[in-house]
Amino acid sequence: MLKVTNLEVCTGGKKIVKGVNLSVGDNELHVIIGPNGSGKSTLLSALMGLPRVKICNGSILFNDVDITYTPPYERAKLGIALAHQNPPSIRGVKFSEVVKNMIKHCGCSDFTIMSKMLRVDDLMGRDLFVGFSGGERKRAELYLVMLQNPKLALLDEPDSGVDVESLNIIANAINSLVKRGSSIILVTHSGSILSKLERVDRVHLMFDGGIVYSGIADEIIPLVFKYGFRGAVEKIKKS
Amino acid sequence: MLSSKLLEVIKKPAPIGPDIDLSRYELGEPKIYSSLDVVDELNNITSKLGIEDTSKFSYIQINENAMYEALRNVLGNYGVKVVPLKKALEELTYAKDLVWRLVSPETDKYTAATYLYGGELGYFIYVPPHTRVPIPIYSCLAITSNKKVQFAHNVVYVDEGSEAQVITGCLVPHGVKEGLHIGISEFYVGRGAKLTFAMIHSWAEGVHVRPRTTVDVAPGGEYVSYYVIYSPVASLQTFPLTILGSDSKTSTTSVIAGSGRGVYDVGSKVLLSGDNSSAEVISKVVATDSSEIYARSDIIAESVSKGHVECLGLLLSPNSKISSIPSITSKKPGAILSHEAAIGVIAEEELEYLMSKGFKEDEAKSVLVRGFIDIDLRGLPPTIRYEIEKILDTIARNIVGI
Repeated sequence: MLKVTNLEVCTGGKKIVKGVNLSVGDNELHVIIGPNGSGKSTLLSALMGLPRVKICNGSILFNDVDITYTPPYERAKLGIALAHQNPPSIRGVKFSEVVKNMIKHCGCSDFTIMSKMLRVDDLMGRDLFVGFSGGERKRAELYLVMLQNPKLALLDEPDSGVDVESLNIIANAINSLVKRGSSIILVTHSGSILSKLERVDRVHLMFDGGIVYSGIADEIIPLVFKYGFRGAVEKIKKS
Repeated sequence: MLSSKLLEVIKKPAPIGPDIDLSRYELGEPKIYSSLDVVDELNNITSKLGIEDTSKFSYIQINENAMYEALRNVLGNYGVKVVPLKKALEELTYAKDLVWRLVSPETDKYTAATYLYGGELGYFIYVPPHTRVPIPIYSCLAITSNKKVQFAHNVVYVDEGSEAQVITGCLVPHGVKEGLHIGISEFYVGRGAKLTFAMIHSWAEGVHVRPRTTVDVAPGGEYVSYYVIYSPVASLQTFPLTILGSDSKTSTTSVIAGSGRGVYDVGSKVLLSGDNSSAEVISKVVATDSSEIYARSDIIAESVSKGHVECLGLLLSPNSKISSIPSITSKKPGAILSHEAAIGVIAEEELEYLMSKGFKEDEAKSVLVRGFIDIDLRGLPPTIRYEIEKILDTIARNIVGI
């Protein structure tokens, strides 16, 4: 489904993502784990085509179509959705208004079930993300991703800054996305959500702009929890 | 004596706004009809305001022809009078005491011209004491021929303890290129009364507009005003004044969507005259094309009172200009006044966010502009709220060309 080759991404004239290669198959759940500033969010922004990042080298193929320079709304139309790590608060724009527009765009039919699952009904009348708590913000953002019925969902730290209850709700929603056939790239730096996911197909350890290790969760996660990101990288290099 | 003085006033440019040569415009003989049927395709005119049902209107003035009748019986059940001012001055003794009291004919060339040549067309609305009028009172003022000057002198009196909503649409239909509209408004809000006034303007590139308004709010009264303009103009200059008695309050909200090469000089001035009075002046302005917008607001406290000004601007074209001119003046210790003004552009981060959700760039801009001009319409009845919301939706779409 997704094939990323030698991708280099710059922001503000600085290279943040350095030669990433990544392949994600149909209905696979990949996790990218790494410390703050390792380039995880920049990589997801580039996969979504956000104008704030610039692809300076490499290519992105989505279902064999080159989307390296395709604008974000066309990528969305192709079936790629991004859950932003820090979605902006937008005064005057009601959450329900964005939901209504997205339902119109995407033709989503089971939005009521999803809104109940993610407990966002009470947020509909409020301005988009204005005054939302950490959990509300993440649940609302994930709801918008689900409305897109994505073929590929890019989830940027859906587990950061949320309480245990919201974490469970978010994990359930991600599990539901997988059951509905979506492929997922989930970025996390805490890994707190991983134990709640029903399935993780591949874990990639990102460090200093590159993917330094790809493997199964049981290999890498214990090392990260035990030795930290840097220690885990050193252990992997030695082994 | 007054006439000779006014003939001098009429020669001088007004202090604010581009000067207009009044001699370029034609004025016909004022006529009054007691039916709306004399105008063909009336619904084509009023539909520009988002209101296609002409039977809602109580007063319509096309150029110098005033028509009234509709809803008279319904409003009559509540003792409400809606008649052309000229007719009111002939038939109602109290009407004479209400004209040219809040707005002096000597104010500037436009008030002077209205006094001298306007023929006292415009509407007169009277709501008797302790009457809550359950239906809005609609009026429409339109210019349908080129190079016409339209004078409208409007007087509204909401008597003690009463409540009414007045909706006025001012417009030119498609095809009218030049014109001049001068509107004099004198509104009286009695003790403990409430007047909600919404004005919607839709003009054209060659039309100059000069409203002159003063509102007098008696103790315990409330005046709520909404003003929306969503068309090009040659120029618009208005700076309505609201005078507040003790324990009274006002809230004025303006949405200005500037386009073309128009000069929009709009604002609101409030005099906090009585103790415990309060005012909120809000304006949201959006400038596109080569438009120039001057957003003025002025609150003067002469009593222990409260006032707040909020003026937000969105500049969408490098050829346009927004100038925000908020002013707060306190002459009384204990008065609390504040202002907030900001001019910006559409935030890239917000645009990018919506585009990542599948919105095309223009769609995303439209959503953000609609959010920016969103105003609190809770003071209006649902039907009017819906109509104004439709107009705000149209503004947001038109601004980005979708």
